Amino acid sequence: MEDTINIYEKKAEEMTAIHIISKKDKFAETEGGFVSFDYDGVHYDRIKVVRLFPFSDADRFISIREYGNGDREIGIIEDLSDMTEETQKILRHQLDLCYFTPVIEKIYNIKDEYGYAYFHVLTDRGECKFTINMGSNAVSKLSDTRLIIMDVDENRFEIRDVEALSQKERRMLDMFL
Amino acid sequence: MILKYMLPKSMESQITLTGDERIYYSVPIDIDESGKWSDNSFLVVTTRKVYILRESDSKVYDIKDLQKAKAEPGVGGGLLTVKSQGVDRVLAHYSSKHLGRYAYVARGINILISGRYEEVESPEYEKICPICGRAIPGTKRCPKCSKEGGFLSVFLKMAKPYKKGFFGVFMLMVLVAITTLGNPEVQKHLINDVLKKNGGMKEALVYLALMFFLSVAIVIINILKSNASASLGSRIAADLREELFEKIQKLPLEFINDRRPGELLNRITQDTRFISDFMADIFCNLFAVFFIFIWDIIFMMILNIKLALLIFILVPIVTFFMLSLRKTISRIFHLQFKKNDDVASDLQDVVSGMRVVKSYGKEEDESKRFKIVSAEYADIQMRNERFWGLFDFVMSFLMGMGVVIVVYFGGRDVFLDRMSAGELYQFMSYTLLLFQYVGWLGRLPRELSRLTSCLERIYDVLAQEVPKELEEAHPIDIEGEVTFEHATFGYKSYQPVLEDINAVIKPGEMIGIVGASGTGKSTLINLLMGLYKVDDGRLLIDGTDLNEISRKSYHSQIGVVLQETFLFSGTILDNIKFSKPDASVEEIIKAAKLANAHDFICRLPDGYNTYVGEKGHTLSGGERQRIAIARAILPDPRILILDEATASLDTESEFMIQKALERLTSGKTTFAIAHRLSTLKNADRIMVIDGHSIAEIGTHQELLDRKGIYYNLFTAQLAKS
Repeated sequence: MEDTINIYEKKAEEMTAIHIISKKDKFAETEGGFVSFDYDGVHYDRIKVVRLFPFSDADRFISIREYGNGDREIGIIEDLSDMTEETQKILRHQLDLCYFTPVIEKIYNIKDEYGYAYFHVLTDRGECKFTINMGSNAVSKLSDTRLIIMDVDENRFEIRDVEALSQKERRMLDMFL
Repeated sequence: MILKYMLPKSMESQITLTGDERIYYSVPIDIDESGKWSDNSFLVVTTRKVYILRESDSKVYDIKDLQKAKAEPGVGGGLLTVKSQGVDRVLAHYSSKHLGRYAYVARGINILISGRYEEVESPEYEKICPICGRAIPGTKRCPKCSKEGGFLSVFLKMAKPYKKGFFGVFMLMVLVAITTLGNPEVQKHLINDVLKKNGGMKEALVYLALMFFLSVAIVIINILKSNASASLGSRIAADLREELFEKIQKLPLEFINDRRPGELLNRITQDTRFISDFMADIFCNLFAVFFIFIWDIIFMMILNIKLALLIFILVPIVTFFMLSLRKTISRIFHLQFKKNDDVASDLQDVVSGMRVVKSYGKEEDESKRFKIVSAEYADIQMRNERFWGLFDFVMSFLMGMGVVIVVYFGGRDVFLDRMSAGELYQFMSYTLLLFQYVGWLGRLPRELSRLTSCLERIYDVLAQEVPKELEEAHPIDIEGEVTFEHATFGYKSYQPVLEDINAVIKPGEMIGIVGASGTGKSTLINLLMGLYKVDDGRLLIDGTDLNEISRKSYHSQIGVVLQETFLFSGTILDNIKFSKPDASVEEIIKAAKLANAHDFICRLPDGYNTYVGEKGHTLSGGERQRIAIARAILPDPRILILDEATASLDTESEFMIQKALERLTSGKTTFAIAHRLSTLKNADRIMVIDGHSIAEIGTHQELLDRKGIYYNLFTAQLAKS
């Protein structure tokens, strides 16, 4: 009994510990396009990357987790830009695979028709068209000037700064603010 | 959902099919390797190969080299991955638009890998019409594009059973139009024949009487017409509502789960209400307005074609003005509505979170925040009212201008004797009538399309096929043996909840089910209850496929107590009797006693007649659960399912119910989910669910000896206590 209690003490300690990943820890791109990782003498064939603050701090506090095994956390990268060039490149590519939130840079047109609004925009991932349902809460505010728009397919689009848009674009968007 | 897109010619030429090889799936890859949108890449699966087709750098994989395909959902998109030669590989990156599609494709690839050749089809609907690019309002076909859709056909479909009612309303509308248009004609005669030609009192009285009669007739016919169409509307709505309710009861839970919560509720309540509103407000005037409008124009042209043309120039201006303002109006009112919502939800937040706000001493901060939101709302409201006032003013000005034009040019014609004074008066009446209905007609397209959407949504539900029981479905007397054979199931296509479940449970055995939350315990139970069908594999009761047992007979022999106990509005007696309406009073009391509910029911002033449910007597969680247990055991079921049945009870009543259940479960096949392992100490075997499948199964002792998941759980709970 004593033993098992000790096991749980250990588990609890493990649960609350924060492991910080440093420059020295080795990330590598795998043949299949994923990322492997060596940490504390353990090799992980494939890891998961999770942004802890995807909106407010996308490049800081990235949780590196096991793939499978309950997605246990291996450690946290406090700031991606502190990592080596190579690691940054690998992890950014991996983050791009897991997060797809195009940022709207220009609004060409918004047409609304019978409860749906059709957007034609330029994003940082290229030009695209999408549709939102005006009845649901498709547009949510992250702050007074920052918006997340969710289309009918549950794709997410971000507007970083509403005030940076032109008067004309803002008027089109007004309907959803 | 489309799983086979048309390929562009240049892509198609890259595929060479050999022998009996066929293309099964072809779906777009809408994100390229640098993470940008792309519209010319495809993933194509043939019976032998998987192609990644791009402008350059296309890839081909042999299906026999692959081990497992997986559609991994991410944030705002997903990845299709395969395992080949022991390495996980990314095949395609796609946005959320194709999330569901790739899940089916992954399933399809896995079937091909396993050596079978079934082609997967998706029952889910497209959200955007592939032909016109419009959003589809939750229906199978796009209302705009489908041949059967369109306003007229759905409307006729709705109207068909009510031919008589519609005919009556139609006739009344024609009468309204005739009387409305007739009035100015009489007025003309009054002016021309009596006032101008010094006609006698007698003639004047005749015309006045005629005018009086027409005015009264207009009022009476209008009332009759409004009444008739309103009652017709509510009759149609009521019938549709009933039909919908009946249909939704029969539809499988998948259909209901595919839709957002509340959406079906909206279809029953709001969509049908819109239909009755439409009938009362719009339809009752529809033909009357058209009729009046057309005749109005014809009469005006007959009276004075020059003047009429002059007015018709004004009509498009007014129409354009109104249409362009309508956009602004709907925008500003939308804003006001949104802000109103903000105020309401803020208020709701603070009031319901009062304890938290107070305990952290944040009253002042909250007041400040609310002040800001409230002030913003007031600002918008003020602006809107101002705009509204101006709009009304401009509108009446425009109409007034029309009258001025008529008086000026018409007056000149009267002086030149080209027109009589009475005709001028008549013409003015028609002009006002015209303006009055221009606005109404401008609103019409929007209302019609809303009605089309409502009707489409309603008919979408009504047109759903209720899965019929298999022909060979027959009632059986359940012994209690339950067999899972490679059972696989997921609520959403891209998220399997249970994979390859295999187990044989003997009659009378008690199985405890444990596992972390979200691993699929409740899902397993949902399958057992026959609420969902397994996607792959089989679920057998006494060796018979569950699909081949008649539902009624199966459900009368299982008893269920769920985690969230649901009591209907009604008395305790009604609620217990729900599972066996013909139970005798003795049976009910016995069941209540077994569930340890009898005593607390006796303490209630109204006893078994106590009204419970939404508006009734508030029972504690434990009391509700005990009633639910009584309900489950009343029909003396052969299979008993307990999903955290005693979770919200205090330790003492849990112990008492456990005791009672022990007696009850003996000889019955029992499945019990529990977090507190002590409640499972009587279980013959324990099933541990982890990672979508059965991780461990065996007796308490066997599992302890294995030192696996169960051992960890058990020791953790011991350590805790």
